[in-house]
Parts: sequence; structure tokens; C-alpha cells
Amino acid sequence: MAEGHTHPAAPMVDEVSDFEVLEMAVRELAIEKGLFSADDHRRWTEYVHTLGPLPAARLVAKAWLDAEFKKLAVRDGVKASLEVGVDWINGPPTGFGTPSDYCNLRVLEDTPTVKHVVVCTLCSCYPRPILGQSPEWYRTPNYRRRLVRWPRQVLAEFGLQLDPGVEIRVADSNQKTRYIVLPVRPDGTEGWSEDQLAEIVTRDCLIGVAVPKPGITANATRPVHPAVHPVHHEH
Amino acid sequence: MSKIEHDRTHHAAKATGIGDPQCFHGEAGPAKFKVGDEVRVRNLPDLFYTRCQVYTRGAVGRVTEVVYESPAAEDESWDNTDQPEWFYSVVFRQKELWPDYPDLYENDTLETEFSERWLEAP
Amino acid sequence: MSDMQMSNVIDGQAAARLDTAPISLLEKVRSEGRVWTDLAEEYGVTNPDPPWKITLEATCDLLAEAECALPALERRWEEDELSEERYAGVPFPERQLLALAHSMIRRGLVNEGELAKRMQQVHERLTQV
Repeated sequence: MAEGHTHPAAPMVDEVSDFEVLEMAVRELAIEKGLFSADDHRRWTEYVHTLGPLPAARLVAKAWLDAEFKKLAVRDGVKASLEVGVDWINGPPTGFGTPSDYCNLRVLEDTPTVKHVVVCTLCSCYPRPILGQSPEWYRTPNYRRRLVRWPRQVLAEFGLQLDPGVEIRVADSNQKTRYIVLPVRPDGTEGWSEDQLAEIVTRDCLIGVAVPKPGITANATRPVHPAVHPVHHEH
Repeated sequence: MSKIEHDRTHHAAKATGIGDPQCFHGEAGPAKFKVGDEVRVRNLPDLFYTRCQVYTRGAVGRVTEVVYESPAAEDESWDNTDQPEWFYSVVFRQKELWPDYPDLYENDTLETEFSERWLEAP
Repeated sequence: MSDMQMSNVIDGQAAARLDTAPISLLEKVRSEGRVWTDLAEEYGVTNPDPPWKITLEATCDLLAEAECALPALERRWEEDELSEERYAGVPFPERQLLALAHSMIRRGLVNEGELAKRMQQVHERLTQV
């Protein structure tokens, strides 16, 4: 540590892992073989770095505060996204959306009697331009196969239990539409600002496996266990 | 974008600034189904590649949105983008998809999209 | 339809074409490579992801877009298959990286020999003082 510094340098991994080397080697060979260009890769990397869940949280907060905006969000998710700084069409380096996200966001509005939850059984498609990178559990066959079949059980594992009379609607994004959930605004948030509201709309609320609660501003940590046996239990 | 021999240049020319699926707007002709229609998922033979989930085959649901026009995924994967179709969002009762889905949760549903070729009147 | 049938049909399409037999270079990386969770813990780094996770995502996007060399759906099916059959127990994103390299080798996009050679060069470059 250098003398005269009052703060230690941020810790860094001071070691080169074979995985880091493999990633770089694959990328360099792909570029040399013309599978894509170095320029394209740099632009894509920059773009992916800009993505995160905050715009989606703000979209929900805005919708809670403004009934007209909520109607727009439900009617035209791509247009509503522009108001939180996300351009599904021109944002990505292609100028026409990304090859896995496309440009058709639909905002699914929860009500007291309908709760939405999102999955992509085929390949774990996710609304990255407005929500960032998907969490590992979302990508696993365990989640993808089980949510469509046993949504109540999977949601219970996430700590979410709903009245049997509530309609749980699983949205399987198998084509070009990508979904985020617009949860019901919780009690105890009267008079809150947009910032305060956005803070409790976590990524898990936007996927639909959690509901927003005053005071809860982070996703629950989930241990991920590799599936030892494929899932086919009977209930 | 990099030089390509796959037809991404054509797609880029067509879709830049417009978006995908927006770039196919107006190409599919009249929609066969409308919101509220009951539809059954056809069990077409899968050649190689499909985005129509097997768990929906033969099930009857209700069109909830007519969402966009696009080449069917089965054509698009072979770069066959000449004949876009209408795509529909269809809602199914879970009980319809899984016969032993618990009766206690009879209101539960599932929503997913199909291109027109996959649907027929029940 | 049972879960087993469902998973077979989803995975069957790609699995029929993918050879999941081990590739010795990748088995070596898998057994000798240090995963991010271990490195982060050892060095006290709090970032949950390695710095190369995003560059890997960009590579996957571009393989699907630019030349359509490896379309997204097929890459993901192969990744599912390999995650279960070959690279089970490897943490994500190391698992995603191994699956990608495996898919690319099996499709002839890169070959094992040149990848091994390039890895050696990259390693030298990154570790030279």
C-alpha cells in the first residue's frame, strides 16, 4: 500500500484464470475468422455494460403515480420505455434491436386477482434492454421447466404464496415479445416519490417471482444448486 | 456491422431505425383470428426447429392480443422471410394444459405466443 | 405430457445434433481453471461476476447476429444439454463459457488445436511482467 494514502486500493484479483484466457482466446479467434469484427464486439460490450434493472423499476414507479402513463405502458411498452430512457430499436448497436431481445416489450399489469410471472421455457429470453442481465436461476432448466407446470410450488420456493383464488398467469416469452411485470402498488407507500417507489421494485418483482414491499430494496439471495436429478416429481 | 453473406445486410437495410418485428408491419395480410377467439394449437410435424412448445399442442385457448406480424420462427431460422404471418398471444387455463393441475387453483392460466400457422378454430 | 417427455422434446432437437463427448482442452480448463467465486473470495473482491462475463455475452450476441454462425436458440439448447451432461457442477458463467467453446468446436467454428495454441499465447501476454 502506497504511503500517504488514507484509503486502501480496491481489492483486485491479481491472478489470470484459465477461464479468462479461454474467453479471450475464443473471442480473438472468432474475430480472426470473420465471425464478427473487433469493432462490433467493442460496441456490443459497451452496450451490454449500460443495461440494468433501474429503468424498468422507474417505469413501474411512474405507472403507479400516473394513470395515463400506466395505460400507455400496458398498451405500448416500447413507447413507454422511451420515457425511462430505453430505446428498444435504436439503443442496441444494430439499430433494429438485438437478435435475442427484439423490440416488442409488453408490460403485464397485475391486479388484486391476477398475478403475472415470466419465463422463457425454450431458452431463457429476457427483456435485457430495460432489465439488464438475467439471473442464473432464470436460465436454469429447473426454473424453465417447472414454472409453467408447477407455478405455485416454484413461487413458494421464492417465498411468494398467493391466495388459491388469485389467477396466476405464467407468461412464456417464446417468440419476439419480452415481458416485465407491473406489480400492484403495495400499501404503506402513500405519498411516496417516484424514487422511493422505484427503490422497492426489484428485479425479482419485475420478473414476477416477488412482490414489492416497503423497506425491501434488494432481491433475496438464492443459493443455486445444480440439479442432481431431472425434475419429474408428481403432485 | 461486419460484412456478411448471410442475409443480415438485407435485414439491416429493412429494419434499421424501425425495429424487428416492426419492420414486417403490413406484410401479413388480414389476420385470421381476433381478440376473444377460441383457438386450438395444431400439432404440425416439427421439421427441425420450432418455437411452438410441445406442451401446448392440441390445447384450446383464447386470443388475448393480436401482437405483431413477422416471419414464423420456423421460416426465419432458414432465412425464409418472404411471407410474414400474424402472431397471437393466447391464454390457456392451466387445467387445459396439464390435466392433473390441482382443482384448488382452477383460475391459473398461461399465456404464450403463436404464429398463425399454428392455430385453428377448435 | 410428463416433465420427462417435455424436457426430452425441448432438448431433443439440439441434443440429436450435438456431441457432448468430452473435449480434452476444455476438460483441462475445467479441472485446472480457477472459478470466479473462488478468486473473488481469495482476493476479497465483492463483484459477483468476473470482468469477462459481459464480453462473453457480447460474443454470444454477435455469433447469433453478425454471421448467424451460432443462432441463439441452438446455442442455448446446447448449453442446457452440456450443462447437464458434461459441465454439471461448474458454476455459471464458467459453465456458459465452456458450453460455448464446446459448441463452437463441434460446429467447426474453431478447432481444439488452434484454441489451445491461442490460449497459450494469451496467457503469456497476460502474465508477462
